[in-house]
Amino acid sequence: MNRLVPFLSRYWAVLLLVVVWHAWVTLGDLNSIVLPAPLPVLADVVTHPALYLTNAAQTMATALAGVAIGVLLGAFVAILAWASRLLAGLLTPLGLIFSSVPIVALIPILARVLGYDISTVVAIVAVSAFFPTFVFTGAGLRDLPRATDDLFKVLGATPWGRLRHLVLPATVPNVMISLRLTVPEGVLAAILAEFLMGRSGLGFMFREAASRFAMERALGTSLVVTLAAVLFFTLAHRAERAVKARWS
Amino acid sequence: MPDIPQTECREAIALRAAGKAFALDDGGSVVALDGIDISIREGEFVAILGPSGCGKSTVLRLVAGLETATSGTVHIEGRAPAELAAHHRLGVAFQDHALLPWLSVSDNVALPFRVARKPVARDTIARLIALVGLSGFENARPSQLSGGMRQRASIARALALDPDVLLLDEPFGALDAVTRRHMNIELQRIWSARTLTTVLVTHSVEEALFLADRIIVMTGRPGRVLRDVAVPFARPRTPEALRTAQFHAMVDDLTRALEPQG
Ligand SMILES: Nc1ncnc2c1ncn2[C@@H]1O[C@H](COP(=O)(O)OP(=O)(O)OP(=O)(O)O)[C@@H](O)[C@H]1O
Ligand SMILES: [Mg+2]
Repeated sequence: MNRLVPFLSRYWAVLLLVVVWHAWVTLGDLNSIVLPAPLPVLADVVTHPALYLTNAAQTMATALAGVAIGVLLGAFVAILAWASRLLAGLLTPLGLIFSSVPIVALIPILARVLGYDISTVVAIVAVSAFFPTFVFTGAGLRDLPRATDDLFKVLGATPWGRLRHLVLPATVPNVMISLRLTVPEGVLAAILAEFLMGRSGLGFMFREAASRFAMERALGTSLVVTLAAVLFFTLAHRAERAVKARWS
Repeated sequence: MPDIPQTECREAIALRAAGKAFALDDGGSVVALDGIDISIREGEFVAILGPSGCGKSTVLRLVAGLETATSGTVHIEGRAPAELAAHHRLGVAFQDHALLPWLSVSDNVALPFRVARKPVARDTIARLIALVGLSGFENARPSQLSGGMRQRASIARALALDPDVLLLDEPFGALDAVTRRHMNIELQRIWSARTLTTVLVTHSVEEALFLADRIIVMTGRPGRVLRDVAVPFARPRTPEALRTAQFHAMVDDLTRALEPQG
């Protein structure tokens, strides 16, 4: 009972949504093809754990692989741009333009170029993670703690020593910000890509179910997608907070 | 280097007619220093006194090679200051402690070793941390320390590589009188153990008299050398030396020199 109260006070909005959903379906007497009630949706998830789990695992693995590649590449290219003024002049405007292009617009192009398979989904997620990371890491590389630049000069640091001991560690919190922003984005991009061009994963599962009007399955997929996105966001947010506390 | 008397007389730091003007955003410029002549012998301890904003930090930054003089010259051992830094022979404690927030106290003190790609001397680091009274705080991060503790950590870091030239910019500013006195006595021990050319910027006349061989008093706008006073007290100096009549007379004299001229 004393655990229920904090739970309710935190998640009442979610519960309210489920109640409204249920009321809407029963009072409006809606056909389950239009909108199934919450309970049958939940039942579909619970009675097909293997199906949901394998597809969810695949989507999450794809998203994580893509985000990892995108963040690493984004940070790496940001360091290149930091090290060379020529590259910075070339890459920074590109980064700013591409980070504001919606990923949906890029999916058909990338699919056409790379082919319609799972590695293309990974690539799409990587692209979605690349540009925000490039922009945020680039900002972090230029934001050093007070007077530390002077310190490294009087310590006689080489450019590499300065990068390794000052600039890279100083930018870690910004990389964590990129991670927090790109992880949920990456899950979304993975599902979207699967939906538009995939042959497996939660996105594909949703499209396949919706096309044959299996709405319990489709909404069950949405439910799992939502839970996964929330979980990933929470983890990334926690990680960012922990790093930020360590870094200030 | 053989420890013969001649080496004692070698000039370590030389500012000749050094001037510094800063360009301002509005296109004008502010003259921070004008015609500074300072000569510091190897192993000598010089304290710089002066009102706030008179250019003390700027003198130190010129010597550290962080600024270049807009007129005149600045040399360490006859060469550009940056050369000394490149050989990891310069120790600086900044007015702004400049500790890396993500490193523990002991890792901050170890930083000069890592930057110089030398093996980290754990025992040296432990000894320096003890010297500045931070034993027990080795694993604390700078945000968990008080202002005075941060300053002390940055002094330990400045001493890490056993530098030949040590520059201290108001390193004891945030310390209470007792800790400050204690630090002064501890640091005097280091200086008695080896030749270490030191420039200390301070606002405390007593501290300058207790530690330094020579005191330079500056005036502001533009910064100039007003007085250059040799400190006559024998070493090692004990806290009792601070109570002699001669000491008090010099404190009064220097304090008067610091007062704004009417
Ligand atoms: N980077 C800079 N740009 C413009 N003006 C500067 C700069 N650095 C210092 N100055 C000016 O030079 C003068 C001397 O500054 P400096 O920091 O050397 O004073 P200070 O004697 O160390 O003062 P304090 O005792 O308050 O630390 C000041 O008038 C300051 O405004
Ligand atoms: Mg100053």
